[in-house]
Amino acid sequence: MEFQRETYSSNHKTSFFNLGILIFMIALLLFLPLFISPLWIRITTEVLMWAGLAQSWNIIGGYTGYLCFGHGAFFGIGAYLTGLLMVHLNWPFGFCLFISGILASFLAFFIGYPTLRLRGAYFAIATWAFGEMIRQIATILDITGGAFGMQLPAYLNLPFFYYIMLLVTGMTYLTTHLLLERARFGYRLLAIREHEEAAEMVGVDTTMTKIKAFALSAFFPGIFGGIYAYWVTYIHPDSVLKADITDFMVVMAFLGGIGSLWGPLLGAIVVQFIQRILWIVWGEGTFYLVIIGLSICAVVLFIPNGLIGLLEVRIHSPKESINFLMKKFKW
Amino acid sequence: MELFIQTLIDGLLIGGLIIVVGIGFSLCFGVMHIVDFAVGEWVMLGAYTSYLMVRYFGHDPMIYLPILFLIFAGLGWLIYPLIYRAVSGKRHNPVIMGLVFTFGLSIMAKGGALSVWGYHIQSITTWLSGKSLSLGGLVTLPALRFAGFIFGIGVTLLFMIFLYKTKFGVIIRATAQDRETASLLGTDVKKIGGLVYSLYAGLTGMSGVLIGALFSIHAAMGAKYCTLAFFVVVLAGMGYVPGVIIAAFVLGLLQSLVGVYIGGRYNLVALFIVMYGVLLITPKGLLRRGI
Amino acid sequence: MKKYYKIVFLFLIFSFLIPGSGFSQEKRDYFKVGVVTSLSGELVFGGTVTKRGYDLWAETVNSMGGIEIGGKKYKVTLIYADDQSTPATAAVAGERLITQEKVDFILGPYASGPTLALAPITEKYKIPHITGSAESPLIWLRKFKYTFGTIPSVNLTAQAVITVLAKEVSPKPTTIGILGIDDPFSKFTAEAFKTASERLGLKVVKYEIVPEGSDYTPSISAIKALNPDLFAMGNHEKAAIEMMKISKELKFNPKAFVQHYGMTTPDFRKSLGKDCEYVFGNAVWTPNMNHQSTILFKTTKEYHEAFVKKFNTDPDYTEAGSTAAGIAFQEALRMIKATPPLTEAQKEALISALEKLDIMTFYGRIKFETTGESYHCNAGLQPVALQYQGGKTVEVGPGNLRRVAPKYPTPPWDKR
Repeated sequence: MEFQRETYSSNHKTSFFNLGILIFMIALLLFLPLFISPLWIRITTEVLMWAGLAQSWNIIGGYTGYLCFGHGAFFGIGAYLTGLLMVHLNWPFGFCLFISGILASFLAFFIGYPTLRLRGAYFAIATWAFGEMIRQIATILDITGGAFGMQLPAYLNLPFFYYIMLLVTGMTYLTTHLLLERARFGYRLLAIREHEEAAEMVGVDTTMTKIKAFALSAFFPGIFGGIYAYWVTYIHPDSVLKADITDFMVVMAFLGGIGSLWGPLLGAIVVQFIQRILWIVWGEGTFYLVIIGLSICAVVLFIPNGLIGLLEVRIHSPKESINFLMKKFKW
Repeated sequence: MELFIQTLIDGLLIGGLIIVVGIGFSLCFGVMHIVDFAVGEWVMLGAYTSYLMVRYFGHDPMIYLPILFLIFAGLGWLIYPLIYRAVSGKRHNPVIMGLVFTFGLSIMAKGGALSVWGYHIQSITTWLSGKSLSLGGLVTLPALRFAGFIFGIGVTLLFMIFLYKTKFGVIIRATAQDRETASLLGTDVKKIGGLVYSLYAGLTGMSGVLIGALFSIHAAMGAKYCTLAFFVVVLAGMGYVPGVIIAAFVLGLLQSLVGVYIGGRYNLVALFIVMYGVLLITPKGLLRRGI
Repeated sequence: MKKYYKIVFLFLIFSFLIPGSGFSQEKRDYFKVGVVTSLSGELVFGGTVTKRGYDLWAETVNSMGGIEIGGKKYKVTLIYADDQSTPATAAVAGERLITQEKVDFILGPYASGPTLALAPITEKYKIPHITGSAESPLIWLRKFKYTFGTIPSVNLTAQAVITVLAKEVSPKPTTIGILGIDDPFSKFTAEAFKTASERLGLKVVKYEIVPEGSDYTPSISAIKALNPDLFAMGNHEKAAIEMMKISKELKFNPKAFVQHYGMTTPDFRKSLGKDCEYVFGNAVWTPNMNHQSTILFKTTKEYHEAFVKKFNTDPDYTEAGSTAAGIAFQEALRMIKATPPLTEAQKEALISALEKLDIMTFYGRIKFETTGESYHCNAGLQPVALQYQGGKTVEVGPGNLRRVAPKYPTPPWDKR
């Protein structure tokens, strides 16, 4: 994977244009619920959630280079924690979200130390085992309702959930931008990803840095889980702790472009898009998996920087674009 | 007391069958450093293929074992160049890339199976199904499981002979130990990798027949065998093939003993806790001989 | 080029912006009925089952000109939405049917999970909702005002077969071993078996719940070692098939095998062949019943024949329950003389009418409870115990629901 950073244009006219587009998009997102139907509000809320989840995974998977295959566990834990706190202790929603995020982070911090000692494939398998373990525990415990799942009090205000999701997703991206793209923390992670031993030798405390990244990456899924629980009002081990959730996070981040800021967003949109379109057009819901699988293989083989890698360059003529594409399709 | 013996036997029998899935997987990692996330899907495809063959050609599914081996070895041979590409070249972090690539393959296989066969559950039976032997009236030995066990042991022995007593085996082990030196000494690493992958695919696909006959066949069954394969290989130490035998039996016994004496609920939790624990404490396997 | 990717983003976002439908109150002379069920996903079989039941209702009603209200007839149109077998999508589907399609009322999902997610939506929009299938007691405990169900929850029905075995066979069994899968439906079934057994004086020697997908051999070995007279299983058909296979392999010969839902499915019969003989089970309805009705289908037999004619296969109780859900709406609408499109006031009246409903149909009696744990559930429906004899399921009790005597004890595997 090339060492790639976003290069910002020095042309101030283009910067102005960029800023304008950014403001327009933010305004669009803010006022969206006012002029689309509830169905599309729901769909957009879901896309936002996945964009946030994929980005959270990206923190540990893309930027740090540790592929966590059990990340969905933090989502599920957040969902159950919020459910338990709201149902048994009657705590207010916002506070529960906060606690869920913090506790998910703590857990990641706690298991991070032993687990992050493993590399590559071992880490992937270990986190995968961890994820499945959590799911089994949730199924066995009585307090979580076991296989029956848990019901939360119903609060049916669609725009509310849309804005909350937008807020948290926005925070995820902002945090990633500030801490990973702009700060030295991000450079340290990059160093770990590219060559961990060298990073250690240059003085980076790889252990602590990795653990912090892992904890950070678990914070948002914890919150998203809580929002999801309150939003759908009914959760059970299969709906919030199944491996599918992690799979989606990985797929979206990969497709969009791991290690990049906007990659996960693009990935989330594309994957949801494919899934929804196929559902609407063919009325069935499994063929999209084949397409997704194919895309992953294609991405690994040809465009390991993801779809965002295809978009991030300046070209001035058709010939350049062909050359560019040829270069991008590493063979 | 009978129950205890029955439990032990149940455990050993299951372990025997799982060995087949574990061996190929372990070797794959040892030689090419590829973790094949699609291992469960190979089993699933093998099971479905045998189902199709029985449906269209009749006869006992066991007859198709060698044919299945050839089919899946062939498939493996075809897919291998792609995996090789994913894992090598200018790419960063080959193990990860291989992992994600096989992950993509597994999603494709599962999605394909779901699209073609839906969520139907299929079943195949052999002449051994439902039959069992009674040992001294004390314990019952289900015939098909026993056959699976014999199959597992048989395959393992053949494999071991191949690895340790033939020239080819030496080459493979050499490549596993040190790829660069092996290639310097004239081994075509890529071709060896292809051979190993085909062997692995063939073996795993073949085991699908027995697994399909023992349990049921459905598109989502891959995940279970992926779990078992991971478990076995983690305990054995990735890449250490002889360890797989012991690990498979440990797996079988663990499931059996927990199931009978602690409670069926804790079956899977026990599995994952042990797996996670082993990775944290002795990542190179219980015998510390992994790569 | 930087601009290009922003434009691509905008395009993608705009593609989600398809605006909703208009706001005007349409005039129409037919009822719009929303249906949320599993048309894809792992519960697609169940979804198809409910779809058949609902379709048959709509077709039959329309073939008679429509629902008769105050002299005029109004046809029904079914509008389907797929819940993809997950609760989250059920909520989306419900939302779409209500806000975009503006349906008058809703026929509900196959499974309890999606129903539990859909019910708050129908509560919010005050849309009457009957599910012809979901059987989890959890739904009724939540006391949703706008949700009803035609099938009694599983904890009420599982006892039928236990009653037959505890009281109506000889030699009387004394012990029972129970194995259930850890999923909402199966676990409730297992618990219901346990409660019924204890109530009827059977000793539960082992009660075991295992995760889906595990190898059931150790659990069945353990139960076999305790030698119970009866072996009851709470599961769905996949596990049902495997449990029977394993029992045969282990030469486990209890005097009776007891299932609940799994045994009535064609997959069970097909996969086990002769091995499904003698297995006991439960149902709330079979095509052989003798109900008489004045609404839509005059006798159970008539329904059976109509079903076979349309779908080429026998109906089971879920299909019947789904058709019955349609019938319940039909009658209630007639009672309140409501015409489409339904106003808010009419929907409220519909709820009251459903609560007061007490009718006899080909499916049996429909009367929704209005208090207690089975709130809005058709709890009064009498379940019947079945047994596989000669490759078919026959009614073996309890009491005068028996048609054929149960074959008990079950002969051991090697003597069949």
